[in-house]
Amino acid sequence: MDPEAVAKQFVDFYYQTFDTNRPGLALLYQDSSMLTFEGSKIQGAAAIAAKLTGLPFQQCHHSISTIDCQPSGPSGGIIVFVSGLLQLAGEQHALKFSQMFHLMPGPTGFYVLNDIFRLNYA
Amino acid sequence: MDTDVVAKQFVEYYYTTFDNNRAGLASLYQDTSMLTFEGAKTQGVAAIVNKLTGLPFQQCHHAVSTIDCQPSGPAGGILVFVSGNLQLAGEQHALKFSQMFHLMPQHPGNPGSFFVLNDIFRLNYA
Repeated sequence: MDPEAVAKQFVDFYYQTFDTNRPGLALLYQDSSMLTFEGSKIQGAAAIAAKLTGLPFQQCHHSISTIDCQPSGPSGGIIVFVSGLLQLAGEQHALKFSQMFHLMPGPTGFYVLNDIFRLNYA
Repeated sequence: MDTDVVAKQFVEYYYTTFDNNRAGLASLYQDTSMLTFEGAKTQGVAAIVNKLTGLPFQQCHHAVSTIDCQPSGPAGGILVFVSGNLQLAGEQHALKFSQMFHLMPQHPGNPGSFFVLNDIFRLNYA
C-alpha cells in the first residue's frame, strides 16, 4: 500500500463526491469519525453527513492545489493534508481552504477517522 | 488528559521555541518523526532540525490564528491543525501558513508527555 497512491485516490474521490453527490460522503465516515468544520465539532457518520449536506450552499467546486501525506503510526493510518480553492455558485471569488484527513484501514478499505476543515481568509 | 489543553500548550511551546531557539525544537522529535515542509520530506530528529535551522531566514515570528484538535485513535495520539501568519524580519508582508502536527505519547516517559510523529507545513499563497 503506497500512502501517496491512497491519498491521491482518496482526495479525488472525496472532492468529486462532495461536489456532485454530497450525501454520498456518508460512506466515508463511521460512528467514531470526527469532523471539525470551521471550528464546529461533530461526531459520527450521520451527524457529519447532516452537517455537510446542510451547509448553506448548493453547488460548489473544489480545486486542489497541494496534497501532502504521511503514514500516521503503527495502526496503519494515513494523514492527508490538502489545500485548494472552493468556488461557490454565484460567488465572484473562490474561497481558499485547507483540510486535514486521517484515514484508517477498515474492513472495506480506508475510512475517515479525523477530518478538520478551515477556510484561509485573506 | 484534555486534548484541547495539550494542543494549546504544545502550539505555544512549538512556535515560541521556533521563533526564539530553533535548535531547541529537537526535543520535540524522535527518529520516527516525519516532516513535510512545503513539499520537501524529511525524517528523523537530526534531519528535521537541520532542515528547520537551515531555512533561509534568521528572525521570524509566528502569530497563530486558529487551533483545531482531535484525538487520533486508540494509540492515544492527538491531531493539531493550526493556521496563522509568519512574519519574516525585513519583509513588509507576513506569510500565511497552515500546519498539521500529530502528537504521540512518549514511550516510556512521563504520562502526558508527547512528541511530534507527523508534521506538515504549507504556506497559503494569496
